[in-house]
Amino acid sequence: MEKIVQGMKPSKTLQILRQSDGYYLTNTARDLSQSDFKNRILLHTDLLAAESRENANYFSLEITGGASVHVDILRKQVDPFLKLELLRERMPNTMFQTLCRGVNLFGYRPYPQNVIRFAVREFAKYVDVWRVFDFMNHIPNMQAVFEEVQLADKILEPSICFSTGPEHTDEFYVGKVREILDVTGEEIILCIKNHGGLGTPKRIGELVSAIKQNYPELVIHYHGHNTDGNDIGRITAAVINGAAIVDASDHAFTGYYGPPPLLSVIHTLKEYGKTAVGLNEEAVIETSEVLRNERDHYEYFESQFKGFSPTVQIHKLPGGAMGSSFEQAVKGKFLDKMPTILHDELPKVQIELGNWWSVTPGSQILWTTAVTNVLEKDRYGNPSGDLKNLLLGKYGPFPFYRPADWIYEKVFGSNWQKILEEEGGVEDIEDIDIEKEREVLTERLGHKPTDQQLVTYLQHHNDAVNFFKFEEEFGKVYVLPPSIFLRRGGYKLGESLMFKDHYGKEHVIEIGPKQKDEKGEWSIYLNVDHQERNYTFMEETTETVAAAGPKLSKKEIEDLAKAGDIRATFSCNVCEIVVKEDDEVVVGDKLAVVEAMKMQTPVVSQVEGTVVEIHAKVGDALKPGDKIMKIITDVK
Amino acid sequence: MKKILIANRGEIAIRIIRAAQELGYKAVAIYETPDTEALHVRVADEAIWLGDGPRKDYLDIAKVIRAVRKSGADAVHPGYGFLAENPEFAKACEEAGLIFIGPTSEVITNLGNKVIAREIMAGANIPMVPGTPNLSPGDAGVQEALAFASEYGYPIMLKATAGGGGRGIRRIENDSQMKEQIPMARAEANAAFNNDNVYLEKVVINPKHVEVQVIADSFGDVVHLGTRDCSIQRRNQKLVEIAPSMIQDRSIIDSICETAVKAAKAANYTNAGTVEFLVDKDFNYYFMEINTRIQVEHTVTEMVTGIDIVRTQIKLAFGKKLLFQQEDVKIRGHAIEMRINAEDPKNNFMPEGGKTVSIYRSPGGYGVRLDGFVYQGYTIPEVYDSLLVKLTVHGYSWNETVDRLRRCLKNFVITGLKTTIPFYLELVNDPDFQKGDFDTSYLETHAHLLDYEEQNTEINKLAKLIADIHYKEENTYAI
Repeated sequence: MEKIVQGMKPSKTLQILRQSDGYYLTNTARDLSQSDFKNRILLHTDLLAAESRENANYFSLEITGGASVHVDILRKQVDPFLKLELLRERMPNTMFQTLCRGVNLFGYRPYPQNVIRFAVREFAKYVDVWRVFDFMNHIPNMQAVFEEVQLADKILEPSICFSTGPEHTDEFYVGKVREILDVTGEEIILCIKNHGGLGTPKRIGELVSAIKQNYPELVIHYHGHNTDGNDIGRITAAVINGAAIVDASDHAFTGYYGPPPLLSVIHTLKEYGKTAVGLNEEAVIETSEVLRNERDHYEYFESQFKGFSPTVQIHKLPGGAMGSSFEQAVKGKFLDKMPTILHDELPKVQIELGNWWSVTPGSQILWTTAVTNVLEKDRYGNPSGDLKNLLLGKYGPFPFYRPADWIYEKVFGSNWQKILEEEGGVEDIEDIDIEKEREVLTERLGHKPTDQQLVTYLQHHNDAVNFFKFEEEFGKVYVLPPSIFLRRGGYKLGESLMFKDHYGKEHVIEIGPKQKDEKGEWSIYLNVDHQERNYTFMEETTETVAAAGPKLSKKEIEDLAKAGDIRATFSCNVCEIVVKEDDEVVVGDKLAVVEAMKMQTPVVSQVEGTVVEIHAKVGDALKPGDKIMKIITDVK
Repeated sequence: MKKILIANRGEIAIRIIRAAQELGYKAVAIYETPDTEALHVRVADEAIWLGDGPRKDYLDIAKVIRAVRKSGADAVHPGYGFLAENPEFAKACEEAGLIFIGPTSEVITNLGNKVIAREIMAGANIPMVPGTPNLSPGDAGVQEALAFASEYGYPIMLKATAGGGGRGIRRIENDSQMKEQIPMARAEANAAFNNDNVYLEKVVINPKHVEVQVIADSFGDVVHLGTRDCSIQRRNQKLVEIAPSMIQDRSIIDSICETAVKAAKAANYTNAGTVEFLVDKDFNYYFMEINTRIQVEHTVTEMVTGIDIVRTQIKLAFGKKLLFQQEDVKIRGHAIEMRINAEDPKNNFMPEGGKTVSIYRSPGGYGVRLDGFVYQGYTIPEVYDSLLVKLTVHGYSWNETVDRLRRCLKNFVITGLKTTIPFYLELVNDPDFQKGDFDTSYLETHAHLLDYEEQNTEINKLAKLIADIHYKEENTYAI
């Protein structure tokens, strides 16, 4: 059997897959990082594992996509393209796989078609296998990506998102496969995307079998999560029933919400007479030996709650959202409400809103709505902007049924039907002038950006600029191992930090004393390559904290809004200021749009008057009570 | 054993100490209190403290002569600056029976007085920028000035005879300014120099500054060591000097050099000196002055000729004959010197004195020469000039020399204070500089070269993040 290697024509790869008796494995390192480590596994760690992962002969390594591109620039401070370039150098034969949303790509909001196409073209220079999905399984939403991937001569892997419930029949899913094939033709891999790890092995076996009966030549890639601890059961059923590729990852890092361990999959399927084609088990073991020592440094990002969550079958949260949901519950101090949210409200909202697929951005809509419903004790009384868009059908038509009228009424008021009629339907986003964006970015950076930088910027404007500036100030920090980059509590006096920089030079930094003078200025002494250096930091004094103003209660913030003093009601980033100074506004006018937890929420005027002062600007990170703008109510 | 006292500080003191020690002589340093930690004191064989200074003790002829006596030195080398071109000092040495390493006090006196110098040069038919003798007092002088202006045209420089170093000079653009400025210039010169004589000189627009190193023994032999171009200056202060001049026409260069030798002979010059010329865009050249001392930029001439000028100076001062003739002097390749100063070029070259050198890592290798005096941990005194080290590179071709210079600048690490290095890095990448195309207007016409990012190495950036993580006890950029 010929080996599948990077650079092969997609048709050739598909031919090998179709003729194979065994099955193939994708190492979903990215999904593991996202589901069990809040996306924080650093490039440094992936580089350590590169050699043995290359030797393992996977079908592919899923190493980019999902939310990872955003976290690369936001938290890991690494260029998502440089990451792929460096991994490619060390892994010339392994295909790289990505996961992207049809309309959102790697962001959280629909992008214009020309942005999507430009981004796919740039990423396709490094990415060989493109898994594409839409949370409404609305095939037209994925068309632009389909076309660009095929134009780039890369492997297209459209997904059908999977869930459970009376509507989720084999017939429905086979119909969706047909819709996809009608658009793409047969030279694809079909992904069954089980992002929640839902259903039993039996159910998955049936689904694979049903698709195979209709499309015997179709190459199926099963993707699951181990949230309930039973994904190996589902994987086994998928392969026995004809799936050609399945997902798992390195056991040294497997947790609760991501992929199961590769080796366990291999051992289980061996008993059923199924062989992982070409796979080098020793290299799989070696990867985990290399990775094992790194895991400790990521402890802070692992789930606070240990153990599998079989109740996922009830709440259906995708593996990628489990960690962040619990994190939000801890930060928002509603951990005690979690059983109610997860096991009562979320399933209820799920059904009420149409029982579609709980995956980005739908999972955020479901989650935020359920949380708000419980915390505000007013179901659908505080709808997010994204919930409104969903109800208006902006993301696509409801696949099974439309939510009940009372929900529309609650969200939009008594004239909801008129609003639905006037504003409803899939939003056509106009192309933007990319060259103009390039000019804006040039101005913000002070130099001409590369195409890759522009692609990153077009998806995450402010975070991209912040990252480029970070890189100018702090250099290429992927060279720092997690033991340095993610260290908590400071380094030890006398500790030696050793690493090689991006340009291949070895450095050593010794930690010297840390002292404070009477004015509150801290001096940090480092011995950098045997030269002493001093860094000073001004301690945040009680005065500077006080200058930030007293903390306002939620009630006070609302009262101020009614007086025209518009403030942030929660911690958020400003993504848009809709009005300008001297604009006249009426009740209900959109003033600004803020974003928190990937969700955009409009800030709406509660008064009629004139905008006299705008305090916030796009990109600002606001805390509750921070000023956004001031409106003076008209004296008539 | 012979002993030489070096009446100077900084890099030039060290340069002279090296030459003295190579000759097997003992070198005596003098110093003021701010120079207690200075390197010239450490490398000298003996050192004598002059006083608390600053500057005034280095300038105190009586104190320096006492120090020479105390040390028992036979000779004094004045370096550049301080007492180097003060004829009183040379005279004091002569009267004390000491060997002054330089020309005689009489030559220094004559060449230091611009009017006398011009008279000597005029007598030898040396081409000079058209100018006048001292203007007659009162209205007669003004009339002389206006007549000069109608013959040669504006702009014209009005200069105080006793001025120097850029002081007492004003640029005149028209007749009415001329009438107005002459009395003012006189009043000012009288107040500043106690001498109200003024004279005129035609302005040469955007000239090249070309100078010739000459060397003369006391037996009448005068040779030149070729040209240097010092056009790249900041407010009359040289920053970059190259040898030889980039003027391609050999006949012009030869003619300038021969003129320089003729000028030195006319002045009865002995020891090493520099004849400075202005060269206009049509390659007309005009005598400017003779500097009666070793110059900062002598290193570039040494590199291209292979002749140790300071060693030669000492030998000639001790009465030796020149060991080489004009035909023995060969110019090989190109040399460039850059003055690495403790200054912030972005902030109008503001001196960075008072700061401590936290890292000093200098380049080396083939064709590289360093004349400096700072070391890691050294605090730059605020009271002296800002020159830290002269980087001189030598190469076979001009391109090779520029490439070598760029490499050296990139590898030169001086931290703890700002230096001119990042500015020079811009300069070596400038196409005009790379073509060798520059005149004294270079910095004005290339102001964009000052618009550079502060040099920041990758490890410094990473170290900054590590300091941040250490201080905040977490990486706030990753959380």
